[in-house]
Amino acid sequence: MTTRVTARRVIRWARALALGGLLMSGLAPCASAKNIKPDPNGLPPHDIKDLSYGDVLFYFFQDDYFDAITRLLAAQELDRLPNTEGEAELLLGGLYLSLGEHVEAGKIFEKLLNANTTEAVRNKAWFYLGKVWYERGYLAESERALRQVSDKIQPRISAERTMLLSQIMLREGRYDDAIASLGAWHGPPDWTAYAEFNLGVALVRKGRLADAMPHLDQVGRMATSSEELLALKDKANLAQGFALMQADRPADARPILERVRLNGPYSSKALLGVGWADSSLGEFKRALVPWLALRKRDLLDSAVQESYLTVPYAYNQLGATGQAADFYNSAIDSFDKERKLIDDSIGQIRSGKLLDRLLTDDKQNTLTWYWQLKTLPDAPESRYLYQLLAGDEFQEGLKNYRELNFMRRNLDAWREDLAAFNDMLDTRQHAYEDRVPKADSLVAATDLDALNKKRVDFTSRLNEIEQSNDVAALGTAEERANWARLKHIEDFLALHPDDPDLSDMRDRERLLKGVLYWRLSQSFKARLWNERHAVKELETALIETRQRDLSVKQARQDMPNNNSDFARRVAGIEERIASLQKRLAALSQQQNRYLQALAIHELEAQKQRIDIYQIQARYELAAIYDKTAEKAGRPQPKANPATQANPTPKANP
Amino acid sequence: MNFKYDKLSSMLRSSLLAGACMLAASLPVAAVGALAVAAPAPAAAQAAAPAVPAAPAAAATATGDGGAAAPGAAAPGAEPPGDFKTLDQEVQSMKKDVIELNKDLFVLQEELLFPANTQVAVYVSMDVGAFFALDSVTIKIDNKEVKNYLYTAREAEALLKGGVQELYLGNLKVGKHELVAFFNGKGPVERDYKRGATITFDKGVGAKYLELKITDRVAKHQPEFKIKDWD
Repeated sequence: MTTRVTARRVIRWARALALGGLLMSGLAPCASAKNIKPDPNGLPPHDIKDLSYGDVLFYFFQDDYFDAITRLLAAQELDRLPNTEGEAELLLGGLYLSLGEHVEAGKIFEKLLNANTTEAVRNKAWFYLGKVWYERGYLAESERALRQVSDKIQPRISAERTMLLSQIMLREGRYDDAIASLGAWHGPPDWTAYAEFNLGVALVRKGRLADAMPHLDQVGRMATSSEELLALKDKANLAQGFALMQADRPADARPILERVRLNGPYSSKALLGVGWADSSLGEFKRALVPWLALRKRDLLDSAVQESYLTVPYAYNQLGATGQAADFYNSAIDSFDKERKLIDDSIGQIRSGKLLDRLLTDDKQNTLTWYWQLKTLPDAPESRYLYQLLAGDEFQEGLKNYRELNFMRRNLDAWREDLAAFNDMLDTRQHAYEDRVPKADSLVAATDLDALNKKRVDFTSRLNEIEQSNDVAALGTAEERANWARLKHIEDFLALHPDDPDLSDMRDRERLLKGVLYWRLSQSFKARLWNERHAVKELETALIETRQRDLSVKQARQDMPNNNSDFARRVAGIEERIASLQKRLAALSQQQNRYLQALAIHELEAQKQRIDIYQIQARYELAAIYDKTAEKAGRPQPKANPATQANPTPKANP
Repeated sequence: MNFKYDKLSSMLRSSLLAGACMLAASLPVAAVGALAVAAPAPAAAQAAAPAVPAAPAAAATATGDGGAAAPGAAAPGAEPPGDFKTLDQEVQSMKKDVIELNKDLFVLQEELLFPANTQVAVYVSMDVGAFFALDSVTIKIDNKEVKNYLYTAREAEALLKGGVQELYLGNLKVGKHELVAFFNGKGPVERDYKRGATITFDKGVGAKYLELKITDRVAKHQPEFKIKDWD
């Protein structure tokens, strides 16, 4: 199990990287050709074309696919991706895929990947889509996607693609296709091992054992230190050994089964097989060695369960009926206990808490297809579920259930936020109602037309001053007062032109007027410029005031509409949330029931297997008693009800 | 009677052998099924099952019920697991609707809280980052602190990979404003490094976007901090 979990983790990591790689290759056009700075971390320098697109990537690069997709869809709706439309659409497809939304991803890729994308991006997109489809059991869709991948692709991806295709053929029973595809294939060494194994298996399935043996043997003898390949090697030896046993060649099977590692995941099956090979050769004493070793292992393992029958069987064959009877009795007791444990576990699962217990330690509040359950809770039923958890069906179902939980929390949180939105809208409405009278009176008191008329008059006046060169008009208040006094004196002097007493005054008036005129003339142009500048500023201010006036009027008019529009949207979303929550609750229940059924199905199967072994043990025990009684010449003991229930005698004429 | 026992033993053996074969064949299905994702092992494992095609028949002979005898076969009393694909499609459809709802709520929230005519968004980007490792950013607008953000390693890495963070989203009146950003982190030679950047900008009637850019000034082996006004 550890091996499988480790392998899964590595795979998950590699897969995440790979999908990231797919999307990053889609992002390649973002990089600016002119930006060629050194790249110490191996990361390409980048130019940002759309901030919102970068914002999506910020979440994407943190594996937060749910936030990333929400922001991407929002940015699309708000038209914030004018320069990254193509990349964004490709990223969207990748994000849907990362979230396990293969149907949506498929639609986007099909639409996008036929057009202007590079072959590399196209290949990777189809490949990962095919892979997701395969895992979810959509074999036809998976094959279609994988066949879209061209040969111009990295050797490892190409190898995996070939393997996936052959797996599809095998799962669909198309052995001849698989044999043809794998027989002609060459790839990297580790993938070649899988190809050889699959080819061997396909040949066995077609009944071509002799053709299959060299392929399985090659895998069974390969030199490797990789845990994953060592497991494959064991599996190849196991498959080959049992195929030979089936062909009634126990002597050939034995050394092959002995190749299986004693500490590997297949050692129990191999020990069982070695024992059977020995017993088939009549070597019952020798057969006891692996079977007794196997009997010490955990009874959960079906091979171990079987050893509880094979050990007394061998003793019986050796004539040690007493020991055989003891072992059969012990087997019956052990099977009884195991049955009870399974029944208890089924009861626990039926109580409906299994899934929540499985997800207790899942603290990641994210939505991603790469999630896998890594550890089982410390519960009685856990020991029976390892086999189930190793299968894609339960894992994918559990992933769905986990996603439904995530969505439930998401909807609950939004529902609370919506209450706050409603409060906010109420507050806004109150504030609006408070402010409207003030705004109305302010708007009513502001006569923009009158202000504008004043501005026009002022401009005309300035023009007149400029044309008439009325320098005094732009003087300071003191200058204008002095100018007026001088004008007054001048008028007085004009009334008395011949008065000699005033000649001195006339000279002084002329001098003062000249000085004042000089000063006014000197500063006239600057003052005129200042006034014109002030008029311009006034114009700008008036335009702005007019705009604000319009905005206020518009806001006054729009506000009730906006508020009611928002209120309508909030209400609409509340309805959607309520409906989704209802759907979600039903779906969670369905998913729970489905996974429960899978788990119970698995446990029932285990129980049924134990039942069969127990019946067989009881029958053999009764047979020993019969034989012993017969030998002793005593009347036979009455067979117990279990023995009567044994279906085996019916098959015996 | 001896004949009977010998025959029974032989049948039991045959049944056990068949069971063992089935187990051996079925074990890899599940056990290696875990490797299915990375390697084609699961199919291989599934394919291993028929390596003993006669097994169910032998089991049937021994027990009188082939289906029940084959280990791992469906138990008659167990509930049928149902259709994975139907449920999967329903979950997919649900997920799509929830994603769509989140998008609508995201847009609604932004329009409600940060209307375009007052909206100001400040983004952070980082290009290459050889000379600066970002720890935190503080933003002041018109001399008032509006954001102080401490980065996790994951976030800093996301920035380095090309992500752009929307660090601050707020509202501002039309007119002139000043933004000051302080960047804290480790500079060249792992030294504590604090730098600031300032921009004065005009907030018009539309949304305003500002980008705090951290780049490398290769010639001086120093980081560079700029603020870009996206008009």
